[in-house]
Amino acid sequence: MAAKGKDGREKNRRGAVITWVIIALIYVGVFVAEQLLPPTSMLFTVLKKGATYALVAVSMNLLNGFTGIFSLGQAGFMLIGAYVFAIFTIPVEVRGSVYQYFDGGLVQFTLPVPVAMVLSGLAAAFFAFLIGLPVLRLKSDYLAIATLGFAEIIRAIFQWNQLGPVTNGSNMLRLFPKFNDFNITDAQGNVIVYLSTLVPFLITGLCIGLIVLLLHSGYGRALRAIRDDEIAAEAMGINLAHHKQLAFCISSFFAGVGGAMLAMYQTTVQAKSFTTAMTYEILLIVVIGGIGSVTGSVLSSFLFVACSEWWLRFLDEQQVIGDFQVPLLRNGFRLVVFSIIIMVVVLFFRRGIMGTRELPDLFRPRRKEAALK
Amino acid sequence: MSETVLQIEHLTMQFGGVVAVYDLSMEIRQGEIIALIGPNGAGKTTAFNCVTGVYEPTNGQVIFQGETIARSHPYGKMRKIYAGSEADAYLNGSVRLSPDRITRLGIARTFQNIRLFSGMTVFENVLTAMHLRRRSNFFTAALHLNRAEEKAMQQRAAELLEVVGLTDVSGELATSLPYGKQRLLEIARALATEPKLLLLDEPAAGMNPQETEELSAFICRIKEHFNLSIFVIEHHMNLVMAISDRIYVIDFGKLIAEGTPAEIQNNPAVIEAYLGGGEE
Ligand SMILES: Nc1ncnc2c1ncn2[C@@H]1O[C@H](COP(=O)(O)OP(=O)(O)O)[C@@H](O)[C@H]1O
Ligand SMILES: [Mg+2]
Repeated sequence: MAAKGKDGREKNRRGAVITWVIIALIYVGVFVAEQLLPPTSMLFTVLKKGATYALVAVSMNLLNGFTGIFSLGQAGFMLIGAYVFAIFTIPVEVRGSVYQYFDGGLVQFTLPVPVAMVLSGLAAAFFAFLIGLPVLRLKSDYLAIATLGFAEIIRAIFQWNQLGPVTNGSNMLRLFPKFNDFNITDAQGNVIVYLSTLVPFLITGLCIGLIVLLLHSGYGRALRAIRDDEIAAEAMGINLAHHKQLAFCISSFFAGVGGAMLAMYQTTVQAKSFTTAMTYEILLIVVIGGIGSVTGSVLSSFLFVACSEWWLRFLDEQQVIGDFQVPLLRNGFRLVVFSIIIMVVVLFFRRGIMGTRELPDLFRPRRKEAALK
Repeated sequence: MSETVLQIEHLTMQFGGVVAVYDLSMEIRQGEIIALIGPNGAGKTTAFNCVTGVYEPTNGQVIFQGETIARSHPYGKMRKIYAGSEADAYLNGSVRLSPDRITRLGIARTFQNIRLFSGMTVFENVLTAMHLRRRSNFFTAALHLNRAEEKAMQQRAAELLEVVGLTDVSGELATSLPYGKQRLLEIARALATEPKLLLLDEPAAGMNPQETEELSAFICRIKEHFNLSIFVIEHHMNLVMAISDRIYVIDFGKLIAEGTPAEIQNNPAVIEAYLGGGEE
């Protein structure tokens, strides 16, 4: 019989080792590719946005997949994160031009990027804490509606002209640090080492690592217990309100950090772009990847971004082969195809790419011996 | 006489027009095994749910180790109907502790319709029930800095699985076990919360005759081993008669008899309502 680990599961050393090797190879691959390929390659757009979406998708999965709370507030928390990041990182000398209608704005100092990112997360978590108290009492579909409503309200508030000195009203925030600023340049401004893709990968990797640690701790078990059976979880002494609130705040924290990353990716921030459609995209990623699988969310983020930004772009453009104009291909057709994919996934592959499995599970040694027993 | 662990006073639970439990009073003392029996739909599970905080009783109170864990009283006319002449004696201010608070005080339970954590292994099910006793704060736990505590918990979980005899399936998904073993796992999980009083809701349901036989000895064994008092709902008369110190019988929510197994077996009202029904 295979050796049992402390947690009663058969130890999967092989899976763990292979997983670490794969992760290391990915990071090395990203680094090398960035030095060799032209920085304008579509690949890097996909990788940067994919890394951003992966973090937000995993944070949503923490709620929807691991705690069983069906929340649709992700875009709202990303918006908070993106704004907080932008507001506190725009260099003082350019604030005048960014906040041109608001006399250079109220905030007249600049925080270092890492500090601003943590602050983004904390701000999102704080909002989650405030709305969590009333909202988390609601049952699933009401909770979804309430969080969706919250995201819409946040979007409206951040565009409100009265808050202009802080948020720049409905005008965009810009000129804050972006992913490209992570590249190391020499005195002439020539890039020596490209890091603009590696850094978002590192941020996402660190954050997802923290989430995975949490999921494997006693608190993670408590969250999964709530997902599996609230009544039993409560009967085992798990305080539902407290743990749901915790999951909600943590998920929002990482959505906020994801928002900051999105700001750096887009190089501009404007409240009106954080729409419900964005939350649906994330939800779609989570569902396609597998509700309850971190690996699935990450994989499907990159797949989704690659399809929407790159591989399926041609669907939106008229194609003429010889004299033949391919029918259907026109602006907006991509979204139709996407909707069809969603329906197919929901109807036929409800467990998504990974189900609830994780990367190490794929390399579990065959269990012949166990079956013989 | 040993001290009272659980005291139920004038407990009534009404769902709309259905009075599931009516004016139930009972007492469990330290170290006792008390059985609650009665036909299907008599209100036994409802009584458990009132004790564990799942339901808020319509009237009455529940006291655990001297602490009131539930106290309710209806208002207006209903008050006189339910509480009668004692209306003012104790019915001042209602108390409602949530199920998790009650579990923390030391009451653990199993469920008639098994409620294991379906996405978890047998081992994780037990481990999860130790969460409420953890000392580490969120950050040390989430960052896995509480290795000593986690290790101690894993050791205890392994011991509990040993006690219920599920060590060899500890890595399996909980819901993949046969019924009888799932019931044992529910007991192990309840024990993991370190209870003083254990409520078992039909622990033998779904067990084969041999497992049921073993269950009697098992219940007595864990009572001694963990220094418990046990409150059990059960239909298997052999089991109930073998292990109970005292038995309460309810029918249509009302207490119809109370006494030692011998007294209950010869009680005409019980035979009429329950045993005479041709069930056993
Ligand atoms: N949540 C509820 N809502 C409405 N009626 C209930 C509820 N729980 C139990 N009942 C009713 O209370 C009565 C007693 O049920 P129960 O306590 O489960 O019986 P027992 O466990 O003795 O078989 C039944 O008539 C049942 O339909
Ligand atoms: Mg019942």
